[in-house]
Amino acid sequence: MEENKIVELSSKERPLLLDCGKSLGPVKIAYTTYGNLNEQKSNAILICHALTGDQYVASQHPITKKEGWWSNVVGPNKSIDTNKFFVICPNIIGGCMGSTGPKEIDPLTQKEFGLNFPVITISDMVKAQKLLIDYLSIEKLFCVTGGSMGGMLVLEWLSKFPEYVHSAIPIATSVNHSAQNIALNELARQSIMADPNWQSGNYYETDNQPTKGLSVARMAAHISYLSKESLHQKFGRNLQDKNELDYSFKADFQIESYLRHQGISFVDRFDANSYLYITRAMDYFDITANSNGSLIEAFKDTKSKVLCISFTSDWLYPTSENKKIVKTLNALGIDVSFLEIETENGHDSFLLHEPEFFDALNGFISSTWREL
Amino acid sequence: MSLINKTKEFKIISNVITSKSNIIDIGCSDGSLIEYLKLNNNVVARGMEIDQSKIRTCLSKGISVVEGDADTDLFDYPDNLFDYSILTYTLQATKNPKVVLEQLVRIASKAIVSFPNFGHWSIATSLFFNREMPVNSTLDYSWYETPNLHFCTINDFINLCEGLSIKIEKKADLRKSVFKEFKGKSLYDSYFSESGLFLISKK
Repeated sequence: MEENKIVELSSKERPLLLDCGKSLGPVKIAYTTYGNLNEQKSNAILICHALTGDQYVASQHPITKKEGWWSNVVGPNKSIDTNKFFVICPNIIGGCMGSTGPKEIDPLTQKEFGLNFPVITISDMVKAQKLLIDYLSIEKLFCVTGGSMGGMLVLEWLSKFPEYVHSAIPIATSVNHSAQNIALNELARQSIMADPNWQSGNYYETDNQPTKGLSVARMAAHISYLSKESLHQKFGRNLQDKNELDYSFKADFQIESYLRHQGISFVDRFDANSYLYITRAMDYFDITANSNGSLIEAFKDTKSKVLCISFTSDWLYPTSENKKIVKTLNALGIDVSFLEIETENGHDSFLLHEPEFFDALNGFISSTWREL
Repeated sequence: MSLINKTKEFKIISNVITSKSNIIDIGCSDGSLIEYLKLNNNVVARGMEIDQSKIRTCLSKGISVVEGDADTDLFDYPDNLFDYSILTYTLQATKNPKVVLEQLVRIASKAIVSFPNFGHWSIATSLFFNREMPVNSTLDYSWYETPNLHFCTINDFINLCEGLSIKIEKKADLRKSVFKEFKGKSLYDSYFSESGLFLISKK
């Protein structure tokens, strides 16, 4: 297990240029690594986390004390085997676990950025990750992988820095956000901004934090990560610690209690402004933004070996969206594989115990490594 | 199901494929034909398969494979992406063999197709004398559980290709394990060949 590291990668003089036209410098990246980089520097795997993920992919989270969010997948003798590979997981810029983001200090004002933080994009996040990869002197990543928003970053790597990617595994993701995706994110943002404690984003030095708004945002999002079937199986209409209805607005049903718990525990580890910025980046994401809407054009320089994975019960980033990637890569003659895992666990499946998913990851990664 | 025996089928296919060509095996199962052709013909290959566990087996062997169905997913490939498309023993299980055949010769310069010959004497005998649907080594399902939807005879296949402006370039001689130039229908084959194995292309 490795500890968290923080590195400063651009400067005021040589800032990171952002899609919005503004620039950021210095840029800090907080990241964890696992395993050892080999002499040829050919065994690096970059893991891109999702919206509310962070760099603690396979080690204990400093706030929640829970094990890493992908401990199922990353570790010694696991699908991403840290005995063999050098795993890098950076916190994205805009995040709130140490990388430059709205709750960090703006060097200009010596106060938290708040809403003075520039609106960033998925492409900006990847440009920042590229600085980290350059800093680590890695010229080719053996594999880039991630689910959900992490999958968007994987697609961006394939499109923007194709020569840096030997293989890639985008999981449960999309080439852009649908109106439904944007609508759900907007619901979350409005919930945060409707909390009077949000104070137009200037809450850091006050006693009032927008925990209610952030917590409701998380509750709404959490529903979208699960399927109707899995909710039904887990909770049904079961009552929470009682046998009769309470005829009140307390959490009568188990599902209510569960969601409230999800919401409340989330605010301890996440920043409300980060949530606004990151969801915005996801909504703005469109891999064809610089190719006149053409997916073929967006991936025309890609040479990597790719495995796309979707889950049958994922309605947030459904199989049909993932298949658009497969279809495009096929049309380009790229070495692409695709598998739709059958599960009732919804979008969250990529974070859960899914043995067939682990097996597919392991098979692809091991055989690609053998052929290197 | 396999065509008489797999090794023989693989060998016949391998003998007709140009080395280093780019192929797709539709219904590639555990990828054993692809492995054979990679080894013997140095092909660049990928597969399409519907069965999840077989897909995972392919992935672990380093074979690129897409989960998909011959009936619906061949449309995703552009014209002439491959040198060869291969469909062994699957045509009779597709919903629309006519469309599948058209797609096979659209996405590849040449297609290799095999299927059980419903005109084989043993099948005719089973129907004629026993009044029972045939079950044998190439048709190893009972009528109530068969995945096969569209049986055809070798002559039916030849007729369909003619109707679709598909050129039959070669036909396998299963006794001698070689592909031979196609010279039209043969009475011998229509009765005595358990399977049809053809090399076809767009006219």
